[in-house]
Amino acid sequence: MKILEEISVKLQRGDFNAVFELTANAIESGIPPKEILDDGLLAGMSVIGEKFRIHEIFLSQVLLAAKAMYAGLDQLKPLFLKGEMPSMGKVVIGTVHGDMHDIGKNLVGIMLKGAGFEVIDLGKDVPAEKFVSTAIEQGASIIGMSTLLTTTMPVMKNVVGLLKEKEVDGTIKTIIGGAPVTREFADEIGSTSYGYDAANAVEKVKQLVKEN
Amino acid sequence: MKQNIELSLSDILPGKNEVLFSLGIPVGTEIVDSIQALFDEALDLFHQTVQPSCIVNEISYNEFERIFRGEGKNADDVLLKYIYPKANHLALYALTMGKTISDKIDHLFNTNDFALGTMLDSVASNAADKASNVVQDWYFNELSKTHGLNSNSATLGYSPGYCGWDISGQKKLFQYLEPEQIGIILSSSFLMIPLKSITGLLVAGKKEIHLFKDNYSYCSTCKNRSCIDRMKKLRS
Ligand code: B1M
Repeated sequence: MKILEEISVKLQRGDFNAVFELTANAIESGIPPKEILDDGLLAGMSVIGEKFRIHEIFLSQVLLAAKAMYAGLDQLKPLFLKGEMPSMGKVVIGTVHGDMHDIGKNLVGIMLKGAGFEVIDLGKDVPAEKFVSTAIEQGASIIGMSTLLTTTMPVMKNVVGLLKEKEVDGTIKTIIGGAPVTREFADEIGSTSYGYDAANAVEKVKQLVKEN
Repeated sequence: MKQNIELSLSDILPGKNEVLFSLGIPVGTEIVDSIQALFDEALDLFHQTVQPSCIVNEISYNEFERIFRGEGKNADDVLLKYIYPKANHLALYALTMGKTISDKIDHLFNTNDFALGTMLDSVASNAADKASNVVQDWYFNELSKTHGLNSNSATLGYSPGYCGWDISGQKKLFQYLEPEQIGIILSSSFLMIPLKSITGLLVAGKKEIHLFKDNYSYCSTCKNRSCIDRMKKLRS
């Protein structure tokens, strides 16, 4: 089995140590980092993502594979020149101000990275201004916001408003999610998109990137 | 009288089926080794990090009426307004699984241990839910001893944020109960820290007072529907 295929297979099994070693070997044997990323790590994550989508495996297995992906990714990152890390697009994500829940947001971030997106994770309790200024500074085309509380949902509206105010709503799109968030709420506040779970969020972000 | 309730680990021990179910794994599914190992490890971590505590304070009908009004944001057809006036006894409670377990979950995510972090998160949530049941049972037993509550009665908890009781109701509940004494802080957005914490009203009375038709204005958007199971248990 070729080494990149092996990386993909071991990643799918969530074999963290094997992916770590195989990636190191692949780098040492001179395989270009982009190939290791695309044909090894992301190829494996793409199989995992599809299996999850069709309910062949469960979230825990996706997350074990994601840990293995990071074992490889962390070694590849320094090999790409700044700004040259290949990506499907840049997404700024965070849990909105007033909320400290981040498991849901983390899951969305992991899935997005697994699908090849560059994710700038602002963490939790993130003010509206921070979402917008980061997206502008980093040249991100999408802002993803999460919350688990009804009381903090208005922050999502503030972000959409700020984007309009700064006249960047044409270039920076938004996607929102979290337990109390609904499609109707997304429409009401003018968010470009809504994701009901992490896998769905990835599909929606892919659509947004296509439309750009 | 305000008192601390002891929550023993064996009483709040998370159930495997419930935890896996909350992670999208249906009961009866054959569990692969990797998931079983995650569950076992999470349970170990749970034992090492959980610091359960609980505070309860009885409250009169009149005092509760003021707290229940809260910030004036409850739904017009808030469920509890049809229930608590029929109760024989009321008590407010707050419980937490402690700060250490939440810190551990954060740490696991920060070190890319997402699968274990998510498993421990579900384990902690399930334990908090179990603890809530323990408190309900404790209140029932206390009232059985002191007021002769019998098997025609039941003690159930109702929480701000559910069934039309707006989450802003936490503010007045906190002012009365002072869960800060057991380390629970309420933020301005009504979020409790540590995260794995629950508050509510214990309502003791005849079983019938807890039975209702789930067709209130907020039922159609509710993702939980735990009321259905609760009522099934009461009827059985
Ligand atoms: C960018 O694009 C996107 C796209 C998709 C996105 C996205 C972004 N972000 C998330 N997603 C989506 O993808 C993720 C992965 O699939 C998902 O992310 P989530 O973050 O939603 O999901 C997590 C990974 C797993 N989900 C969860 O952990 C939440 C599940 C539910 C059942 C839940 C649980 C487990 C718990 N709770 Co409670 N709890 C509920 C929840 C109801 C529900 N069915 O969702 C909710 C959140 N809780 C609620 C309440 C009221 C409360 N809870 C409380 C307590 C608890 C437990 C301790 C028992 C436990 C743990 C909670 C915790 N804080 O960690 C209390 C508050 C705790 C606190 N710290 O303040 C308390 C206030 C009750 C009380 N009075 O004690 C409700 C909030 C309502 C509101 N008004 O805000 C609630 C919606 C239940 C309800 N009423 O229906 C999707 O939403």
